[in-house]
Amino acid sequence: MRFSEAKGRKVVSSSTAATVGKVSRFVVDPATRAVVAVELRKTQDGDVLRWSDITAFGADAVTVTDADKIGDGGEQVKALSGKSHRVLGKRVLTSTGDELGKVDDVDFDPASGALTAILVDKGPEVPAGRLLGVGSYAVVVRDEP
Amino acid sequence: MRTSEITRRPVVTMAGEDVAQIKDVIYAAGGGTVGGFTLAGRGLFAGPLKEGLAWESVHALGADAVMIRDETVLQPTKVVLAASRASGGSGADVLGSQVLSDAGLDLGVVRDVIVSVDRATGGHCDVVGYEIEASEALGTQGERVLIPLPDTLAASGEHLMVPASAKEFVGRDLAGFGAAVEAFRAQLGGAG
Repeated sequence: MRFSEAKGRKVVSSSTAATVGKVSRFVVDPATRAVVAVELRKTQDGDVLRWSDITAFGADAVTVTDADKIGDGGEQVKALSGKSHRVLGKRVLTSTGDELGKVDDVDFDPASGALTAILVDKGPEVPAGRLLGVGSYAVVVRDEP
Repeated sequence: MRTSEITRRPVVTMAGEDVAQIKDVIYAAGGGTVGGFTLAGRGLFAGPLKEGLAWESVHALGADAVMIRDETVLQPTKVVLAASRASGGSGADVLGSQVLSDAGLDLGVVRDVIVSVDRATGGHCDVVGYEIEASEALGTQGERVLIPLPDTLAASGEHLMVPASAKEFVGRDLAGFGAAVEAFRAQLGGAG
């Protein structure tokens, strides 16, 4: 599934069947190459939902057991949130110092949250296994062997 | 690549942070290799940094960025400069120096330095040539041409001595220059 597809998807509590928010952004951990949390909008209180608290990331809705799972995400998620850790739109540099383009979209596995590929605007997609780091300046990927 | 293209290039860690940008190139081994770089902060109003970057700490010198593992590899600029001086780096700037052939001909004035990273020799950043503003002796006065260099050369800060045969291997663009350098060095190696 693409980040662009999943954005705007409603988050529904399975205990009350009410919509508790909408997916706005993804928090990615470059070390594990996975989505660790989603940032929501239109929520009552707090705006971060940890990936581990998601019951299912479905095609039509994201389900959680209860709205109280939504909070600040904790220290680890906070450290990976914010503009400098965002992937979309950032320039992509290889470990040899060459720019590949900008991140257009990211493909991930909705079952596990694992990233599968980084889609670059002017080049072939980069398998997520090559991701090394996400910083304020660039997304760094390992050079092709 | 030309060293003028390396300056102002960002220094980026594997975590994607731009910690500095290249300010100047430090030459080592008598001007024959790149020993490291002095750094400046990022941004329009950032001044020079106290830290420098030794060539050994460079992970890769790419077309768009200089990659390093993380910011702990930066060392005080003094240390990097001292290490380069110890290996015979002149420290003097070669730009503007007059290039003399050992036959006593003035070939021109250095305008830029051409370097190449050689993975075969342990990843040294070798100075392979100069871009010079040609003198009369080259028959293309006033034009900018590329002149290959031997592995080692004598530089005084005033003059640079190159073998007279370097004249035969003058190139006009970087595309074929690598081959010209190799041919020139092979010829020198054969003669000596």
